Formats: sequence, structure tokens, C-alpha cells
Amino acid sequence: MWREYSSGYLKNNRAAAVSVMTAAFISSLLLSLLSSLFYNMWKYEVERLRAEGDQYALMAMYLVRDANDEAPRLVFPFFLLVMALASFSLILIIHNAFAVTMQARVHQFGILSSIGATPKQIRTCLLQEAAVLCAAPVLIGTLLGIAGSRGLLALAERLVREVEGRRAIAFGYHPLIFLFTLTATAITMYISAWLPARKLSVMTPLEAIRNNRERQPKRMGHSFLLSLFFGMEGELAGNALKVQRRALRTASVSLLFSMTAFTLMQCFFTLSEISTRETYFEKYQDAWDIMVTVKDTGIGSFGKTDELRRIPGVENVVVYQKAETKLCVTKEELSEELQANGGFSHDSGKYVRQEGERFWVSAPIIIMDDAAFLEYCGQIGVSKRTDGAVIRNLIRDVTNPDFRHPEYMPYINDCRTTVLLAQTGSAAMEMPDSDRTAGVERQAPDVGTDVKMQLSDGAETIEIPVLACTETVPVLREEYATDDKYELVHFMPASLWKEIEGKAGGAEKDTCVRILCREGVGLEELEMIQGEIEKSLAGAYTIESENRIREYETNDRKMQGMMLVFGSFCVLLALIGVGNVFSNTFGFVRQRRREFARYLSVGMTPGELRRMFCIEAFVLVCRPMLWAAAVAVFSVGAMLKASYMEPAEFLMEAPFGSIAAFVLAVGGAVALAYYLSWRRMRGINLAEVLRDDTMM
Amino acid sequence: MNILTCEGVSKVYGSGNNQVTALAGIDLKIERGEFVAITGASGSGKSTLLHILGSVDKPTGGRVIVEGTDLSELNQTQAAIFRRRKVGLVYQFYNLIPTLTVRKNILMPLTLDKKKPDEAYFEEVVKTLGLSERLEALPNQLSGGQQQRAAIARSLIYRPALLLADEPTGNLDQKNTREIMDMLKLSNRNMKQTILLITHDEKAALEADRIITIEDGRMVGDERRR
Repeated sequence: MWREYSSGYLKNNRAAAVSVMTAAFISSLLLSLLSSLFYNMWKYEVERLRAEGDQYALMAMYLVRDANDEAPRLVFPFFLLVMALASFSLILIIHNAFAVTMQARVHQFGILSSIGATPKQIRTCLLQEAAVLCAAPVLIGTLLGIAGSRGLLALAERLVREVEGRRAIAFGYHPLIFLFTLTATAITMYISAWLPARKLSVMTPLEAIRNNRERQPKRMGHSFLLSLFFGMEGELAGNALKVQRRALRTASVSLLFSMTAFTLMQCFFTLSEISTRETYFEKYQDAWDIMVTVKDTGIGSFGKTDELRRIPGVENVVVYQKAETKLCVTKEELSEELQANGGFSHDSGKYVRQEGERFWVSAPIIIMDDAAFLEYCGQIGVSKRTDGAVIRNLIRDVTNPDFRHPEYMPYINDCRTTVLLAQTGSAAMEMPDSDRTAGVERQAPDVGTDVKMQLSDGAETIEIPVLACTETVPVLREEYATDDKYELVHFMPASLWKEIEGKAGGAEKDTCVRILCREGVGLEELEMIQGEIEKSLAGAYTIESENRIREYETNDRKMQGMMLVFGSFCVLLALIGVGNVFSNTFGFVRQRRREFARYLSVGMTPGELRRMFCIEAFVLVCRPMLWAAAVAVFSVGAMLKASYMEPAEFLMEAPFGSIAAFVLAVGGAVALAYYLSWRRMRGINLAEVLRDDTMM
Repeated sequence: MNILTCEGVSKVYGSGNNQVTALAGIDLKIERGEFVAITGASGSGKSTLLHILGSVDKPTGGRVIVEGTDLSELNQTQAAIFRRRKVGLVYQFYNLIPTLTVRKNILMPLTLDKKKPDEAYFEEVVKTLGLSERLEALPNQLSGGQQQRAAIARSLIYRPALLLADEPTGNLDQKNTREIMDMLKLSNRNMKQTILLITHDEKAALEADRIITIEDGRMVGDERRR
């Protein structure tokens, strides 16, 4: 009997069946896609962390934290939360599709109940029906979801395959994920079928037959703006949306999140792109073409400088190594501008250590090959000598936090005569006190006289001549005084370093080679020259090399890859929202026919009803759009302020096009959902609805 | 002067063996200001006739003319505008819009036409129907009798040619039934409103000036009582 009843119902209510099947298909597809993507993300991270041997990070993946680890690791918990929310939303879609059909059938169940059907029998009937309806869509949706995630990962791999130093993305799947998708769907269906049966158990058969428990608003605010702009249709649309608030909650939240996330993502990437371009690519565009890092080799041991200079296409080569030292300055030695600006008083003690009247600051040394150093001397107009150092006499105004438009002033005054350098890590630097620094020797020669470098515990001093204090730095792909604004940078020839190396120490392990080629060199030519360089150095040294154009492209691809990942997430959220709108509007004909009949019976024309539909769809899209715009304006404002970027500069490149395309796509999908529902609603037979005894 | 003329109105549902004749050649003329009750057993076709007269359904044969308008020639939009302006429909279950206040429900036919209400007439209607104090309430905050009075007020607000009431007291207790019948009579007497009341309640039918009886889709009686 039940089988006949169900098959009869499904045959005569194809729309309801299609609505449930569509919801089951969309939800299982998205749930499967999401689970599979999440599993692969987790798998990739675990494999990466295992390979890197980062046990703490690996533990953090499982939300196990070292008690002493205070670093915020929010990404994984955030993804877990997103996953849980998205799964819940998808489950709601299936539930909603069922609820809409079930609501319409309470009348029939009332009849069945009145002739003796128990809630259990009804529940069993509904479950069987749900299983028949959803089995194929859920299975197909789940399999397509797996295929979709595989496709997305392949696309991501293709986009970022040229990024060096990353692990390849390999698709993987676990039977448990399949089980999870199916179980989540099955539980949802069970609950959805169980709810109407429970509802019936607390209603008398007569109540169920009359099904007069239509949701009635307890109070209804006035949709002022909608009435103002769209008249009666606007007010009715606003009220209808309020009444459907619960049914449309998933849609509203998903659309809001997706639009906000997409807008913020676009704005963030645009800002980041402008910032990287201005602070890195444009700044260093002419500073390098090819960079080679020669591993575990000091500048003195590198013997291929001349060979590199002879490679066709190479116009300029600088071989350099970096070293870290400290030096001591007195207040009097600081420039007048710096003193007027408060000297070192703005430092909390992190970078500058005061010791009586003296201040210990960092003094990084850039050790350049002699030829390059001599060329640099010529560039700044001092005599070409290799027995002294050049000091970068600049310090940023630390009171002005605008890093995009920094202001500089001289660090030390012209008459400063002594620079004392001490090896980084010496006991004196770690914890200076008057006893330990008693051995520091201080002299007062002019520029051009000796600088004494010594270990501050008094063991040794190193004296090097100062050739010049200048604001001009050699053309290198280096940034100076970025974190530690108080460092005093020295440039020194390799031959001089060779003499003091044993005493000063503090040199980095690797040596860098900066190569410039002809102006306007293309990628192909650059890669050819890079190949020649690698060939020349191969065998003798372990090297890493990169070229400017390729790095720019790699950066672009990284950005595209990240945008793909975040964009997919936004699209997924939008799909959940749109899916919910579809599942809700597909149930319109049954759910809202009473409402439409009321409007039509008092003389509302089909055209006015269509207008009301349009307003509903419009509000559904516009509301999250306005919220997203407000959040974006606020957030972008804050980001612009934090990055000291001019609003006009951002607006010139603001991603209006892609945001508009996204909103239009979402709007189009919602409009389509309403249009299809309107087409089905248009066929409503008013006389038939009015003839229905249950019409209240 | 006839406000409504039906000429051979018939309505057939289905086809072939499943064909059901709901109305079979109804000829009817109703004069302006008449209070007519249409009675008949359940399934006799009285509600089908009311739906055709109210332009929510179309006859399969014959013509219906209301104030010179042939309803069979109206398209969907024209029919909706006709319902809005010429017909007031009152149903057993009120059919008020639950999301609008009583005031807005009553004014809805005018609002749909973007017309301002005649305040004096509006006051007269709501006062006559005893709704003055409940205008800002939502329908579900009213009793059944009050909801039906609000539905009657809505049907009268456009001063329609015809007020069609389909079992308006079918869902009410005796006291409210009495009240609603008094309201209908009052609007008929005071406002010269033409009323067609569909009922199977003999007592209610006896309040009308004329009683038409339908059986199996045919008019079998037409008794003028006044």
C-alpha cells in the first residue's frame, strides 16, 4: 500500500521530486568536493611537514599545541571551521528541500493518520521515498565531487608547477571521505523524514488535514525602503522575505560570506600586488637581472668573478658577502638632525643598547669584490682605494611610520672620527657593562683615517680606514635597515676583509653574485645567460640562481594560485547560497501558492506578481552586496592606512571588474532561480487553489 | 437594470470518460442592488459559478457580462484588474494577507491601482464593520469574525459592482455568523451593494432578497422573496 502511495505521489508531483533530487545532487556534489579538497589540503600539509621534520607544526595540524608555543596557528582550525560550516549549510539545503515538500504533504499525512496510519509507518514510508529519490543523485554527486576536486588540484598544480622549492600536489582520496559524505547525506535525509512524522504525532488528524499551522508572523516591521522605491510590490516582497527568513538563512549567510570574502580577497590581492610591485619589483628592477647564491663559500674562496664577467651578455658583475658586526657611537657623533629627532630615544632597547654615554648598534658589512668596490668608489667620487670602508650615512626618520614614503637624515655628523666595531655575539654585545667594554679603544681621526674594530671585551681591536660617508649605495638587490632602523651599513672591499676576517668574523656562509645584463633584456636571453653562468659555476660550487623576469612571473603565478584557492572557496560559498535559493524557490509553487492565490484574488496582476518576484531576487542579491561593500570599504580603508597607500592609487587599479562579474554571476544565478520558479508559478490555476478546502 | 448577465454558462472539467460537467447552461440576470443567495448541495456547482463570476475561472461555454464587460474576453492581466475594481471576493477562510496589517489589507485593491482611499468612505466602512480599533493589527491577531469583517471591508473598499461571498460564515460560530450576515445586509441596504452569497445554510439564504438553487450544475429554482 505504502509503495503505491509513494509512487503515486511522486508521479503526480514531479516538481517536488525533482526539487528534492536536485538538492540532494547539488549538496552531495559540493559536500564531496569540499571534503575531498579538504582531505587533500590536509594530506599535502602533513606530507610537507613530515618531510621538513617540523613536529610542532605537525602536532598543531592535529590541534595539539606545545604549551610554550605561543605562535598563533589559526589556519588549520579556520579551515576546520569553514569545513564544518559549509557541511552544515549543505546539509541544510537537503533538509530544506525535504521540509518544503513535507510541509505540503502534512494534509495528506493527516488523512492517512485519520484512517489509522501510525507516525512510524509514515516515517518508514518517507524514508523509503527519500532513499529512492536520493540514491542516484547522491551517488552521482559524490563521484562528480571527487572528479571535480581532482580537476581543481590538477589545475592548481599546473598553475604553480614552476614555483621552486615546493612539493608536487598529488591527488589522493580515502574511503572514509566517501563514507563521510554518504553518512552526512543519509543522516540528513533521515532527520528530514523524521521531522514531519514527529510533527504529525503532536497534531490531531483533523489539524493535519486542515494543515492550518501556516507560519504566521507575530509582528511585521514595515519594509520602508522597499515600499518607498517599489510601492506595494516592494512591501509584499519585503514581507515575504521576512516570513521566509529561516528558509533563506543559509542562502543569505552564504551569499554574504562569499561576496564579502571575494571582495576582500580581490582588494587584498590588488593591494598586495601594488605594494610588491612598488616596494620590490619597481625598486629593484634596475638593480639586478640574475642573482646567484654560491653556497658555503666565502668571497675570498670564490674564484670565478672574472670568468663571469667574460660571459657574453653580462654587463656588470658584483660578487659580495654579508657580515654582521656591532659598533659603538656616542651621542656627539650622531648627526644634528638625528639628535634633534630624539637620537636613539625611540628604540625600546631591542636594537640599540646603551652603555653609559655610548650606544651599541648593528653594523652590517657588505664585502664587495675589489673591482666592484673600486667602481663604487668612482661612482661616489672618492679616491679608488681598497684599504678602507664606505659608510652608508643614512637613517630613516623613525617617528614617521609611513614606510612607503620614508624620510631620511644623516646618521653621523661630518666631524665624527671614530667607528668602533665589535664582533657580533661577543660577550660584550650580549650584555654590555662598563667592565667588559673597558678595552674599547677610541680615537678621533677625520674621515679617511683609521677606524678601529675590536672585540669589546678588550681582547682585540680592528682598525680600518673610512674612505667616505655617503648616501649613495652600490647597485645591489639589498635592502638596508628594514627591521633594525638603527643599523649603520658599511661597504668594504674583499681584500680588506681578508685582512680582518679572522678577527672580525660574523660573515654569512654564502656569497652572492649580482649580474646585470643589457637594458631591455628579454626572458629568453636572460635564461640563456643564466644557463651559461650555471654552466661556468657547475662542479666548482653549489649554487642557486634566479632571474628577475622569471621571478616576476613566478610571483604572478603564486598570486594566481592563491587567488584560485581563495576564489574557489568563495565560489563554493556562493554555490551553497545559490543552491539554497534554487531549492527554496523550486518549492515555491507548493509552498507559496496560497500566498500567490491571495494576491491574485484581490486583483494583483501576473505582471505585478512578477515584479514582486524580481524585487525579492534583487533584495536577496543586493543585501549581501551592500554589506560586502560596507565591509570592503572599511577594511580597505584600514589596509590603505596601514600600508600608507594613497586611496587614488588603489582606486586606479581597484578590482571593480572582477567583483562586478562575481556579483553579476551570483545575481544571474539567483535571477535564474526566481525566473524558473516564476515560470512554474505562472501555470498556477487560481480557481483550483480557491476550490481547495484547505485554502485559508 | 442588470449588473450581471449569464448566458448559457457551462463548465466542463476533463475529457472523454473522465469528463465532469460542473455547470450546464446557466442563464442568470442580476439587477443592481440585489442581494442574491445561491444555494445547493455540496458539488452542485455553486462555487464554480462564483469563481466564473469573479473571473478567477473561465467558462467552457456561454458568456458572462458584468457591467457591460464580457469576462470570457479578458486575458489574465485584464481579469486581475477586473477583480480588483469590479468584484469583491469574500471566502470562507478570509484570505487576508498575513504579513500586512488590517488597514493595508483593506486598502490593498486601491493600493494596487495606486489610488488614494476616500478617507470618509474608508472610515465609514471600518466603522460599520467595527474594525476601527483593530486597523494596525495583523490578521492572526484577530478573531475569526473580525478577520471575516476585514475581508468584507476589503471587498467593499473599491465600491465593486459585485460582492461575491463564498460561504462567508462557514467557519464562524453562531454569534459571528449573525454579525457577518448583518454586515452584508447593511452594506446591501446602505451602500446599495449588489451581493451574491453562496451558502448551503438555509437560515443565511433566507436573509437574501432572492434565492437561486443549483443542482448538478443546473439552476433548478429562482425564488424572489422581496
